[in-house]
Amino acid sequence: MQDLTELRNAVIEGEVSAAVAAAREALDNGVQPLDLIAQGIGPAMAEVGRLFEEGEYFVPELLMAARATKEIFVILRPLLAQTGAKPMAHILLGTVQGDLHDIGKNLVAAMLEGGGFEVTDLGVDVPPEAFISAIKKRPVQIVGLSALLTTTMPAMKSTIQAFREAGVRDQIKIMVGGAPISKIYADSIGADGYSETAAASVDLARRLMAS
Amino acid sequence: MNDQQWNTLVSVVRGETLSPLPTAFIIDSPWLPNWAGHTILDYFTDDRIFLDDNLKAMRAFPETMFLPGFWSEYGMCTEPSAFGSVCMWGEDEFPFARKVLRSPADVEHLEKPNPRKHGLLPFVIKRLKHLQPEIEMAGHKIRFAVARGPLNIASFLMGTPEFLEAIKTHPEQMHRLLEIVTDFLVEWIAVQREAFPSIDGIFLLDDIVGFVSRRDCEKFAVPYLQRAFAADVTVKFFHNDAPCKASSPLLESTGINLLNFGVQHTLSDMKSWTNNKIALMGNIPPRDVLAEGTPEDVKRSTTEILNALADRSRLIVSCGGGMPPHAPTENIKALISTVEEVTR
Repeated sequence: MQDLTELRNAVIEGEVSAAVAAAREALDNGVQPLDLIAQGIGPAMAEVGRLFEEGEYFVPELLMAARATKEIFVILRPLLAQTGAKPMAHILLGTVQGDLHDIGKNLVAAMLEGGGFEVTDLGVDVPPEAFISAIKKRPVQIVGLSALLTTTMPAMKSTIQAFREAGVRDQIKIMVGGAPISKIYADSIGADGYSETAAASVDLARRLMAS
Repeated sequence: MNDQQWNTLVSVVRGETLSPLPTAFIIDSPWLPNWAGHTILDYFTDDRIFLDDNLKAMRAFPETMFLPGFWSEYGMCTEPSAFGSVCMWGEDEFPFARKVLRSPADVEHLEKPNPRKHGLLPFVIKRLKHLQPEIEMAGHKIRFAVARGPLNIASFLMGTPEFLEAIKTHPEQMHRLLEIVTDFLVEWIAVQREAFPSIDGIFLLDDIVGFVSRRDCEKFAVPYLQRAFAADVTVKFFHNDAPCKASSPLLESTGINLLNFGVQHTLSDMKSWTNNKIALMGNIPPRDVLAEGTPEDVKRSTTEILNALADRSRLIVSCGGGMPPHAPTENIKALISTVEEVTR
C-alpha cells in the first residue's frame, strides 16, 4: 500500500491543503478509504493528541489538525457510503442547555472524527429534547455532553434523567467532559465515562464501544 | 482595598517576604452574589446590592484582601458590549456575549468603540461613581482599572475556536483585530484612571493567553499585553488560570508584576519560569478543594502547598483562579487561618 507518511505529516502539521492533496493522491493510487483512516488519519490524530498532552501542541495546532481531518472526511464520506463501510460509532455531541461555550466540544468533535467516529454536533445550549429527538431519528451509540460552567453542569444530570424518562438511556453510552467536570461528578450523575481532555476522548469512546 | 491592604500588596510585589504571608482572592459575580444571598442579575442591576455584597465579604473576612476590590463588572459582557455584542442574561446565570465577527474578513469593518459612551462601560464607571462616597467612608479606595485582556476580548468577538484557528490561517487580520482591541483597551484603562485618581493598578484577565504556544504568545499576546499594561501604575496584575508554562517566562517583558494562575503548575515551577521576578498569587485548587472540600481538606492542601515551597518571597496565598462559585465561608476561613499558622 502507498506510504501515507506525507498525509500523516500534513495532518500533524495542520497543513489543510497539503493534507487534502495527499489524501486525494492516496485515493487515486488505490488506497481504500478505511485504510486511509486506519493508517493515515487515525495515527496522525493520535500523534496530535500525544503532542497536546505533552505540552508540545496547543489549542490552535489541535484545531488546525482537526480542520485538516475534517476536510479529508468531506472527500471520504461519499466513498465510505459507496463501499457500505460503517464508522466505528455514531456519536452525538452537544453543550448542555444553558451553556453557550463550544471550544471543548469542538475539539472533542474534531478528535473523534479523526479517530474514525461519525460525529453529529448539535451545537450549544442543547435542550434534552433535541438530544432525544436526534437519538430517535437515527441510531446513535454514544452521546457526549459538554459544559464549561459550574452553573450549567447540573443540566448534564437533568439531560441524562430526561434520557431515562424517554426510554433511550439504555440504547446509548454517555460520555461527559468540560472544565468543571470531574470523574466523581460524572459517576454521580450516571454517565458511563469522563474524559479530562479532548485528546483522551477518542480512547474513552473506543472503550465505551468495547464495553 | 484599604490603605493597609494596598501597602501589603505593594510590598509583596516589590519582593518583600511577609510573615505571616498575606492571602487574597479575586472575587466577582461567579461567587459573591450567591454567597451573599442574591442572584447574579440582581447583583448586576442593583447598586445597593453590589455595594452591600462587597462590604459584607470584606467584613466577613477582614484578614484577607479582595482583588481588585469593588470590581464593577457585568461578567464576560463588559467589554464585548462596547463592540456591539448581543448580551444575554439569566436571573442567576453568567451572562454571555454573542460574537460579532462571522469571519476574519469582518475585522476590516470593526470599529474601535468609545469607552466613554459605548456598551455597558459608562454603567461600570457610573456605578462606582455613585458608590464612591460610601466605599471611601468604609475605608476603601478604588485601586484598579480592570478589563478582560486583548486575546480574551478578541475571542469573544470572533468565537474562541474561530479566533484560535484564525491566528494560524489569517494572522494579518488577527493582528489587526488585536490592534483595534488593544487601542480600545488602552483608552478604557485611561478612562477608568481619569474617573478614579486613586487607581494605581491595572488588572487584566486573559485565559486565552494560556491556550497558545510560546511562539504564538510572543507574536499574538506579548506585544498587545505590553501596550495594555504600559501605563505608569504600581501594580500590574494579570490573571490566567489556563496552563501557563509557555507564557509565564514572557510575562515579565509585558510589565506584569503580579500573577494569579491555575492549578496546572506548582508554585515552585512558576517561580522558576518567571525567574522569581513576578509576585505569584495561588494556587489552592478552587473547585475540588476550596468549593467542594471540607475545611480539613483546605487545611491539608494549603499546608502541603506552603511546605513544598522553600522561597516564600513575592507570594500571596490564594486559590488557583478566581473565587469559585459556592466556596463556603468555613473553607475560606480555613485557608486564611492555615496560612497564618503555617507562615507566622
